[in-house]
Amino acid sequence: MQDKQRSIDRVKDIVYQCNRCAHCFDLSWLGEWNKCPAYRYGVFESYTGRGRFFIARALVDGGMDYNADIAQRVFACTECRACAEHCFKYLRTTDIYAAMKEDLAARGLVPPNLAAGLADEGGLGQYHNVYQAPHAERLAWLPDRARVDKSAQVVFFVGCTSSYARQNMALDTYNLLAKFGVDFTVLSDEWCCGHPYLSAGETDKARASIEHNIEAIGKVGATLIIFNCPGCQRAFRDDWRTLTGQAAPFAARHVVELLADWVARGKIGVQRFRPKTIVTYHDPCVLGRWMGIYDAPRDLIKAIPGLSLIEMPRNRRDAYCCGAGGMIRYDFEEMANLAGAERIAEAQRVGADMVLSACPACVMQLQQSRQRAKSRMKVMDLTELLEQQLIPLRIAS
Amino acid sequence: MSTLIEELAAICGAQSVSDKMVDRICHTRDCGPTPGGVPAVVVRPRTTQQVSDIVKLANRVKTPIFIWGRSTTFIGHGIREGCMLMALDLMNKIERMDFDNQVVTVETGAIWHAVDVELGKHGWELAAPGPGGLFVCTLGGSVAYNAVPHGLLEYGMTGDGVVALQVVLPNGNIVYTGSMGNRAAGGLAFERYANGPDLAGLFIGSCGVFGVITKVCFKIHRKPEKECFAFYGFDSLDIAVDAAHALQRRQVPTHLVGLFGGPKPTGVAGDAFLHIVIRDGAASAAERLAAAHAICSGFNGIRHDETATEKYWVNHMYSWLRNTPPEVYYSDRPYTCPEAAMFLPTQKVKDAMRYLFNYEKQHAAEFSRYGIRIKAYDVYFSRNAAFLWIDTLYPELDSEAWQYGIQMRADYSEHLFREYASPGGILAPLAPHIMPKLEGGFEFLRFLKDQMDPNHILNPGVLMLGD
Repeated sequence: MQDKQRSIDRVKDIVYQCNRCAHCFDLSWLGEWNKCPAYRYGVFESYTGRGRFFIARALVDGGMDYNADIAQRVFACTECRACAEHCFKYLRTTDIYAAMKEDLAARGLVPPNLAAGLADEGGLGQYHNVYQAPHAERLAWLPDRARVDKSAQVVFFVGCTSSYARQNMALDTYNLLAKFGVDFTVLSDEWCCGHPYLSAGETDKARASIEHNIEAIGKVGATLIIFNCPGCQRAFRDDWRTLTGQAAPFAARHVVELLADWVARGKIGVQRFRPKTIVTYHDPCVLGRWMGIYDAPRDLIKAIPGLSLIEMPRNRRDAYCCGAGGMIRYDFEEMANLAGAERIAEAQRVGADMVLSACPACVMQLQQSRQRAKSRMKVMDLTELLEQQLIPLRIAS
Repeated sequence: MSTLIEELAAICGAQSVSDKMVDRICHTRDCGPTPGGVPAVVVRPRTTQQVSDIVKLANRVKTPIFIWGRSTTFIGHGIREGCMLMALDLMNKIERMDFDNQVVTVETGAIWHAVDVELGKHGWELAAPGPGGLFVCTLGGSVAYNAVPHGLLEYGMTGDGVVALQVVLPNGNIVYTGSMGNRAAGGLAFERYANGPDLAGLFIGSCGVFGVITKVCFKIHRKPEKECFAFYGFDSLDIAVDAAHALQRRQVPTHLVGLFGGPKPTGVAGDAFLHIVIRDGAASAAERLAAAHAICSGFNGIRHDETATEKYWVNHMYSWLRNTPPEVYYSDRPYTCPEAAMFLPTQKVKDAMRYLFNYEKQHAAEFSRYGIRIKAYDVYFSRNAAFLWIDTLYPELDSEAWQYGIQMRADYSEHLFREYASPGGILAPLAPHIMPKLEGGFEFLRFLKDQMDPNHILNPGVLMLGD
C-alpha cells in the first residue's frame, strides 16, 4: 500500500534519471577500488548509490515498500557524497537518500540507536547535543566568560563535538580568533546545529534546531559565524536554504577559510615547523565534496615551512570517507571502523608522519582508527597546528 | 529455497549469498531500458572453484544462472524471474603482468581502466583502451560481450586482444584456451592460436551462454610515445563518409569517430564531423597526422580546434566529441537510452543515415509527442567497416514514450539487419532481430548450446539459446 505523502515521490524524476552505470561506487582506476564505505561494509550492491536507486525505483514503481532491510541500506551511509561527485549524470544522489530517510523516519524505521540518540526524551531533543551531556556544561572549556553573549560582529559556533568531546579544538579555534584580534562572542544557548537530525530524516527537528540558533545569533547582532566543524557550517550555509528557501542572515565560514585568506594577504605570520615532517591531508566529506572547500586547508599547510604535504591516492573530490559521517557509528560501528582503518592505512601507505584534517568528527574518528591500528602516525586537527604555527605579524617581524 | 541458500552459503560463505528482496532488486537490469525479472538469490563467488561448484549445483537443482559483471551494457540483460544471479565483480585481482610475453592475466571482474592504470606504472597498457564503460566495466564482461573499444581501427575488437581464457563450462568443468590449455607445460598464456581450435573464439561475444569466463589473459603493449589529434567538419554526410573511408583505407588513424547525427558540436562549422586520434612514435605520429590533414583537406574539410578530440580521448567523456563539458552535456538528460549498435560496410553508412533521418521525419509527430531525442548517430570505424551507434533517448517516466522507444529500436534494428548491418554485442532484446537471420549459423549455435548445456543453465535466452 502506497500513501500519497511520500518524500520519494517528490524526487521520482531524479530516480528515473539514473542510468545504472556504476560510476557511483567504483574508483578502481585510482588503485583504491572502492569509493563507497557502505559498499565496503555491506558488500552487496544494495549498499551503493546504484543499489539505492534500484530500491528507490522499486519504491516509486510499487515493486517494494519501506521495510527494515531498506532502512539498513539507506542509513548505512556516511553521506560522504562520493557517489554524487562521480555520478555520470550529475544526479543529486543524496537528495534521494534524504527523501528515503524522511519516509523511513515517518514510519518509525530509523535504526534503534540513532533513534534513541536523537529522541526528545533522553536524547538530542532533551540535551541539545549528541553526547547527552548537560546543556549547562556546553561552555565548560571557555577560558573567559566575558566572551559569552556579548554584542559582536562574529560568533564562534562551537558545535557539540568541540564543546563536549574534543574541547581542545574549541580552545584552539578560540585562541586563534583571540590571537588575531577578532571581536567575537560565543553563545550560552547554542544548540546542536541540526545536522544529526537531517542524517536521521527528521527534517522538521533539524529546521527547528537551526532556527533556534539563528535567533540566538540574531540577538548578538553578528554578521559572520565562524565554525571549526564543517557539518555545523553546512547546516547554516546550505541546509537552511534547502529547508526554507532562504539564506541565513549572516555569512558562515570555516575557520580555515578565514585564516587562509589572512595568510594569503600577508596579514598574519607563519612559524617554521620543527622537525621537518611529512603530512597528508584528509578532506572532510562535508568541507570538500559538500561545500567545495579543498584549497584553503592545503594553502595553509603549504604555507608552513618544515611541512611537506603528500596527497593520498584518494584526495579532494575522490577522497575516501573516514567513516565519521551520517551518524553511522550509532548503529553501524563495524562499518565506521572499517572505513577509518582503510583511511589510516591509506595515509600510512603514502609515508605520512601526520594526518591533518579540518573537522572534529573526522579527527576523532581518525585518532580512534590510528589507535586501533597501533600506528605511530599522528592525527591532528588543522586548528591545533595553526594555533601553534600562526602568529601575529608584529611577533613574526 | 532455503536448501539452495544453505548450499550456496556452504560454497561461498553466508556473507556472499542473499535472498533478500532489497539485494535481489539491484540485479534486475543493465543500463538499458528493458526491465528484467527479479532473481531468487544473489551469490558472489570469489574463486573459480566456487564458480564451478555453483554451476554444478545449478545443474543439480535445475535453476538457471545469470552472470553479472558490472552490467554496464545498454541493450537489456534479459535476466529471468526466479533465477540465480551470480555476480563476479569481487573476482577482481590482477594476477600477473608478464612483460616478457606481453600479456596480463586478471580475474574476470577486474575493472578495465584499473588494469590499465596498473600497467601504466610500468609504461605499458592493455592492447585496447577499453569500451565506453572503461571506468567501471569488467574485463571478463567486456570479452563475453565483445565490446567495441576505443582505438577500434588500429587495435581491433576486445576479442582481438584476448590471448587466453579460463572458463567454467555449463557442466562446471574448468577449461583453458590457447597456450594456457597445455597444463603439462605449465599453462602459460602467451599465444591464442595454440593447441588446435580457437576455443577462446567460442566464448568471445557469446555473452556467457557457453561458459563463465573466470580469467582473462589479454595482450599488452608499451604506451606509445606520442598522441596526436585532429577534428574536422564537412559540408555533407557523404563527403565526411568518403573522407573517413580514405583515412580508413590508408589506416592513418588509431581511432576514427564520425558524428553524423544528434546534437552538433558546439561552436563549430559543418554538417558532419570526424575526430581523429593517432598514437605512435613521435616521427610516425607526425607523418600520420600530416596524412590525415592532407586527406581531410582533400575533401574540403574544415579544420577545428582539436582540443575537444584530445579531451574526449584523455578524459574518456563522450560529451567532448560534441565540444561540450560533461557537466553541461549529461546533466540535462532525464532520459534513458535503448542502444542498438551494428557493423556495416563503410559506404553503407550513407544509406543507413538516410534511413534514420527519414525515420525521424516520418515519425516527427511521435518524436515530439513523446519527447524523443537523438543522442547520437556516431560511427567508430574499424579496419574493414563502420560500427554505427544508434542512441536515442526518451523519458522513461512516461510509459507510452517508453513503449514507443522500445518499438523504435525494434523497427530500425529489423530494417538495418535485413539490409546490410550486423550487430556487435547481442543481448536479449536484440536477439530476435538477428538470430533467426543467421539461419544455419543459428541452428549450429542451438546445437552447441543443447550439447554443452542440456539443462539450459547459463544465461538462457540471452541469445535466443536455451529457451
